[in-house]
Amino acid sequence: MKTLFNNWMLNRTLAIVAGVLGFFALFAGNPYPGATATINTKELAVLIQREADHVTVEELADWIIQGRSDYRLLDLRSEAEFQQYHIPTAVNVPPAALIDYPIARNENIILYSDGGIHAAQAWLLLKARKYRGAYVLKGGLEEWTEKILFPRIAENASPEERAAFEKRKEVSKFFGGSPQTGAAAEKASPQLAMPKLDMPAAPGGTPAGAPKKKKKEGC
Amino acid sequence: MNAPFFKYGMFNDEVSLIVAFVIGIGFGFFLERAGFGGARKLVAQFYLNDLTVFKVMFTAIITAMVGLYYLSVLGIVDLSLVYVGTTYLMPQIVGGLVLGVGFVVGGYCPGTSCVAVATGRIDGLVTLFGIVVGISIFAETFSFIEEFYFSTDLGVLTLPQLLGLPYGLVVFLVVLMALGGFAGASWVEKKFGPKGIWSQS
Repeated sequence: MKTLFNNWMLNRTLAIVAGVLGFFALFAGNPYPGATATINTKELAVLIQREADHVTVEELADWIIQGRSDYRLLDLRSEAEFQQYHIPTAVNVPPAALIDYPIARNENIILYSDGGIHAAQAWLLLKARKYRGAYVLKGGLEEWTEKILFPRIAENASPEERAAFEKRKEVSKFFGGSPQTGAAAEKASPQLAMPKLDMPAAPGGTPAGAPKKKKKEGC
Repeated sequence: MNAPFFKYGMFNDEVSLIVAFVIGIGFGFFLERAGFGGARKLVAQFYLNDLTVFKVMFTAIITAMVGLYYLSVLGIVDLSLVYVGTTYLMPQIVGGLVLGVGFVVGGYCPGTSCVAVATGRIDGLVTLFGIVVGISIFAETFSFIEEFYFSTDLGVLTLPQLLGLPYGLVVFLVVLMALGGFAGASWVEKKFGPKGIWSQS
């Protein structure tokens, strides 16, 4: 009889605790973070100074060629620009849609825009919302175009530079670009046609002839 | 630092398996202590004379819910990283019925059948064997039912977003529902429960 009474008391106590906690939940607010956020300015400043906030176009090109899938590449430009050309594997997410875009906090996210301003701003927003793996593509699509799609080499390049350029040529061809050599490379020719979108294969299915031996370099 | 630790890479796959093992043993231990290693206790739900399973499960649900809610409000747990499965309405209804029928017939659900095997119960072993056979059949015929399996996809749903209510209110309502459920269960047990000399447990 006594144990029965004790059990009843314990059950009642637990029920009251649950009821009280449930009641205070009414006023405790939303567990999901809202639109406001706080940032650790010092931490971000250190990240920026250590250049740990970005990846280079060469690194990204390597990852795409390897078919790595442990990152998400987000294109912050307008949809029209995205349709015209985008880096393979990228997804179009305008800055205003970024905050509600379904990405988990533990994913690696690489942001790019034309130059780098939008990407850097979006990086700050994601960092403020505790996305740990946010990175900016350094130099943005402009640098991608310049270094990966249409790499150039000067006439008076040293042998080392020439050797490095040979590798760049392969990468450029993989992405459907065209390396600029000789006299043509000397003068700036901005009217180069962007490659067609279906040229490079999606990650995973690495096409035959992809420069596989280049995997080791880069990052 | 905040949880979930695994998704933030605080420990790797191997360590996560060890953690899962420890949690699994703990889970099994408490199931056994609650008497869930015996089919009679479990099946008593369906005869309405012992609703222990209902009470234990609902207690677990509100404990986890209230705990996760307050921990995330305090910023200790990142709720957006807690995995919520996708809702496939029709397949999940059918799957629930299959599981329910198996539960009534076999007397165990998958977890409790393992507990029953651990304590040497032969009916538990038979149920576990049935589970393995069922999994094999499912795996082998998956290509035929794949279309149905992924049909009526409603995406990831949570009660607050489905009902359009504030999160705290849903927590409160579920707690009320649980308390009402406990009171109702006690009443049902009194009405249908074992009496006199037939009382056991």
